[in-house]
Amino acid sequence: MNPLMLEISDIRKSYRVGPTELKVLKGINLTVERGELLAIIGPSGSGKSTLMHMLGLLEKPDTGSYAIDGTRVVYDNDRALSTLRNRKIGFVFQQYHLLPKLTALENVGVPLTYRGMKEAEIKRRCLEYLTKVDMQERVNHRPNEMSGGQQQRVAIARALVGSPAIVLADEPTGALDTKTGEEIMDLFQRLNREDGITMVIITHNPGLAEQCGRAVKIIDGMIYPG
Amino acid sequence: MSLFQVNFREAFRSLWGARQRSLLALIGIVIGIGSVIGMVSIGTIVQQQALRQFKDMGIDIITIRKGMGEGRKTEFSLDLLERLPAADRNVLTIAPYVNSGTEYTQGRQKIFIEQMGVTASFFDLNKLHVQEGRAISELDQNRYFCVIGTELAAFLKGARSGPLLGSRISADDRVYTIVGVLDKTAEGGLRPYGINRAMIVPVTTALRAFSNAEIRTAMARVSPNIPFVQIKAEIQDYFRKKGGGMQAEVVSAEELIESMKKQMQMFSLLLGAIGSISLIVGGIGVMNVMLISVAERRSEIGLRRALGAQQGDIQSQFLIESVILCLTGGGIGIVFGIGTSYLFAYFSKWQFIMSYWSVALGVGVSTIVGVFCGFYPARTASRLDPIKALRS
Repeated sequence: MNPLMLEISDIRKSYRVGPTELKVLKGINLTVERGELLAIIGPSGSGKSTLMHMLGLLEKPDTGSYAIDGTRVVYDNDRALSTLRNRKIGFVFQQYHLLPKLTALENVGVPLTYRGMKEAEIKRRCLEYLTKVDMQERVNHRPNEMSGGQQQRVAIARALVGSPAIVLADEPTGALDTKTGEEIMDLFQRLNREDGITMVIITHNPGLAEQCGRAVKIIDGMIYPG
Repeated sequence: MSLFQVNFREAFRSLWGARQRSLLALIGIVIGIGSVIGMVSIGTIVQQQALRQFKDMGIDIITIRKGMGEGRKTEFSLDLLERLPAADRNVLTIAPYVNSGTEYTQGRQKIFIEQMGVTASFFDLNKLHVQEGRAISELDQNRYFCVIGTELAAFLKGARSGPLLGSRISADDRVYTIVGVLDKTAEGGLRPYGINRAMIVPVTTALRAFSNAEIRTAMARVSPNIPFVQIKAEIQDYFRKKGGGMQAEVVSAEELIESMKKQMQMFSLLLGAIGSISLIVGGIGVMNVMLISVAERRSEIGLRRALGAQQGDIQSQFLIESVILCLTGGGIGIVFGIGTSYLFAYFSKWQFIMSYWSVALGVGVSTIVGVFCGFYPARTASRLDPIKALRS
């Protein structure tokens, strides 16, 4: 088994803003090992959101290569890219991004419906992961009936339910108060430690980075060791 | 399959969530489908009705009417009409009749009765059946006997005791003895109007007794194998020669049905035009609602894409929503259309027929409108850049 879960080399990305070309990522090299909990720290405007989208296969780099769980990413096939996102990546967002009309259980099941999985199996797995994040009591609640921390737990269950190669968390505690944020970080650490889930947490908060196994900095589109 | 079910469920939720907007968008579809269904359904009813009249009266029946032409004030004489079969062998039987009307009062109740003066052949030509008593015969000439329709009979029974047959009825100061009661008879076709409310007397009596009595019409049975145009020409020729330049209008059952069909075509055209315009307007309404729905759910679309939805998954999600919207409108429209045609049949006193074909048409058309108008919004949704969609 390839010990590298994620391997990107010399990824560059620039945007055209009016007449000027804005270079956001200037040759990023990064590897994440299986079972690692990595923090990517950077101030706003450093290119960390773009990097996150790049890692999450939501954005196509101008140049460079990307391999995830041993699979080299081919960008020009949307179908293959969607499948790869569905199977290999679990997203956790700052704003949770739960669907307001769905219950916690249904929200967690969304990635699995795109696999054509049977409803009973989806339900079984959703319950399993909601239990893992201590949300078994809120299975039939809708997002507006839950606190921010609870919503983020549901979102984490959704990220995990498809057994992805890697969980990408973008400022996962950014919308939470300190105490709840710590609880979420504890949850991440526990999932990483006990289940060996590979995680990348992107944040501007150096405090979070200390709780991760390894940290790198992104400044002005370049990666530096933390 | 599972994804389809999920999409289906979520489409309902989403439409229900914006039910006010959805309902407004439906109005056009409802009117459109309603008109189309009404059109097809009424068409079927009219066609069946025409066929029934054919079967009921026979296609060999014609009506001869005194022409409205200028010239001397001439009248159809009984004699002139009754000699027609002898002169034209394609005219088999003739039944000249007089009709008039009067108000009949009994106690405080009033009924308007059609008064008809007929010959014996009138009953056979009109397929009238006597329920009780007998019909008018040639032997009744000049006598004050009458045969009455069912509605009139029911009216009279409601107010008097004893048997109707043999009892008297007075109209315009004349007293008639009731000798027969007719079965209930369907209206329409070439039959004189209001048979069920009629008091039918011998034609000779009528010419003496009815106010304003004049023979303007006759019904006739003609040879079924001779073209109608030929018979028509022969009859008109007969009246021109024998009646001193008298003009006669000749109408066949076929012609009547033709004119009915023409009327129906106008009606269909009108409903068809309303239907098509409404469907276009309704379709635009649906497209608009779908575009709003896509715009409102950009972030949801972005999220779903991030979680692995294919472009096709997003597209089908919105297409299903659009089709459900249109099918709901179509369903309501079908009910409206069938209802309209039911009322049409009811007020025309025609038999209502449920046209299953029109229901299938309604479902089909609304599905097509749904797919057609949902396609652009759904495609827009599926082509959204996931990142931009997520950020919104």
